[in-house]
Amino acid sequence: MNIALAKIDLTDALAVWRRNLRVYLRLWKTELIAPIIEPIFTFFAFGFGVGALIGSEVENLSYLSFVGAGVLAFTVLMRTVFEMTYGAYFRMVYQSTYDAILATPVNAESLAFGEILWAVTKGAVDCIFILPLVVIFGSATSLFTPLSIVPLIFGCVYLGSLGLAITAHVHEIDYFNIFFALFFSTLFLCGAWFPVGNLPEWLQIVAYLIPTTSVIDLCRACLTGNFAARHVYEMFYLCVISILLLEWALRSIRKRMVV
Amino acid sequence: MNFAVEAKNLIKNFGELRAVDGISFGIKRGETFAILGENGAGKSTTMRMIACRSPLSAGELSVAGLNVSIEDRKVRSLIGVVPQENNLDPDLNVRENLLVYSRYFRIPKETAQARCAELLDFIRLNEKAEAKVEQLSGGMKRRLMIARALLHRPKILLLDEPTTGLDPNVRQEIWEKLEELRRTENLTIVLSTHYMDEAEKLAQRLLVMAQGKIVVEGVPRKIIENRVKKFALEIREADPIELQNVNGIISQRRGQTHIYFAENLERLAPLMSLYGSRQMILRPANLEDVFLQLSDAGAVESE
Ligand SMILES: Nc1ncnc2c1ncn2[C@@H]1O[C@H](COP(=O)(O)OP(=O)(O)O)[C@@H](O)[C@H]1O
Ligand SMILES: [Mg+2]
Repeated sequence: MNIALAKIDLTDALAVWRRNLRVYLRLWKTELIAPIIEPIFTFFAFGFGVGALIGSEVENLSYLSFVGAGVLAFTVLMRTVFEMTYGAYFRMVYQSTYDAILATPVNAESLAFGEILWAVTKGAVDCIFILPLVVIFGSATSLFTPLSIVPLIFGCVYLGSLGLAITAHVHEIDYFNIFFALFFSTLFLCGAWFPVGNLPEWLQIVAYLIPTTSVIDLCRACLTGNFAARHVYEMFYLCVISILLLEWALRSIRKRMVV
Repeated sequence: MNFAVEAKNLIKNFGELRAVDGISFGIKRGETFAILGENGAGKSTTMRMIACRSPLSAGELSVAGLNVSIEDRKVRSLIGVVPQENNLDPDLNVRENLLVYSRYFRIPKETAQARCAELLDFIRLNEKAEAKVEQLSGGMKRRLMIARALLHRPKILLLDEPTTGLDPNVRQEIWEKLEELRRTENLTIVLSTHYMDEAEKLAQRLLVMAQGKIVVEGVPRKIIENRVKKFALEIREADPIELQNVNGIISQRRGQTHIYFAENLERLAPLMSLYGSRQMILRPANLEDVFLQLSDAGAVESE
């Protein structure tokens, strides 16, 4: 068996990662404004706007506590997805950055892994900046709050890999519209803004098949301290999906770039 | 292991299309070797296979004595690549372009900084070290591409159409740099081009490709002597007069121009009087003459 993951060279991947870091550090102010502004407005809109309509408790939580995990996950995951779709597409197609890197000893797998690693890092940095907001808005009540970065990182790996794999198959930038339509519409099912339990049973099954549901559910558990047995399965599911999609992303980039 | 690059029956298919069709050649260490051909001849595809960027469909290819299909990582650390299209990083400035790239070769930071300063000197871009890539002229970008390919002191430098689209004086400048590299660094240089003058000026040996095959190869001067005669007489706007067929003289029509090739000047004299006062150029035959004759044979319309 020819496993793409086995071809990763970590030193090479890190060199790719550092290229992105260098660009990021030059633009860090603008890079950080978006992930801070967005959740503030989302909190006002959902927490207070929608929350006022709801009044009652959701899953034994005030709506503001409930929606915190959704706001956090939504912001972090979306940034990762953007980085691995439009960001990666720009580097691959318009700037030929991948072409330049592949003329060096760095192989396609290490390149793809470095890119995904970068997208995950960006998500993690955003998470660190958004978490205090979650606390300030009163959505985080548990001491386990910082642990919510773990499911989010898995979410970033799975969605970043998916994004990069799709980017490797896209030959016109407009095709991303289809992917984003799917991404955003499924996001409504994933328990970010209302409990998955409110859905009809068959839709609940669909929702739980989408790994984002697990990411948000695990985040919520960390923020509120309400853990349950299903969280172990969710974590396992995320691990498996992340590894599979990572492998797919690596293969796709080789197929696209090495012809 | 005399050759820097050795290809045997090299083939590359893109689906149904055979871009490189069973070519064999050897490039000696320390020489400048040119791959000539018109657009679509298969030059870039050949270069990309040498650079381990494109897997072979069939055949054998070794670079610096290493099999490219097996030891591609090693090969890539021994070669410097300047692809046909510039791919400098627009998100980084000139110096950062070199420094960031040096990491892919695992050059230690201090070494990289020293090497970077040295190369900026070499391509005379010192003053532009902090400039953004988009502020550079076409010639500067190309020079920076060359510097970037030299960071890790490669043994072999691959240049895919190094001067296409550049001004004549800028081309001259790049040629001088390449000459200097070959002399001082004992670098093997492999370049592809569709400019005859470039190949003639830089290359000790060359091959001409058409439709994925080699049409001719060897030393430029020898090819010219063997394929066309020593002297050429060009007559412009020659149309009203018939193309003459004279024994021992090769005649050729290129659009409005008639060209006659002969072994010595005396043989061309009668033709000169025939055309009278039309604009004429008498010159030594060059590689372009060979090239155009060869592509004529391949049914390519000239002009
Ligand atoms: N990635 C590719 N996919 C399909 N066809 C290709 C690809 N690259 C090159 N070709 C085709 O192969 C032939 C040779 O191309 P190329 O090597 O770029 O020629 P040259 O560099 O001499 O202009 C052309 O017909 C070109 O269209
Ligand atoms: Mg080409």
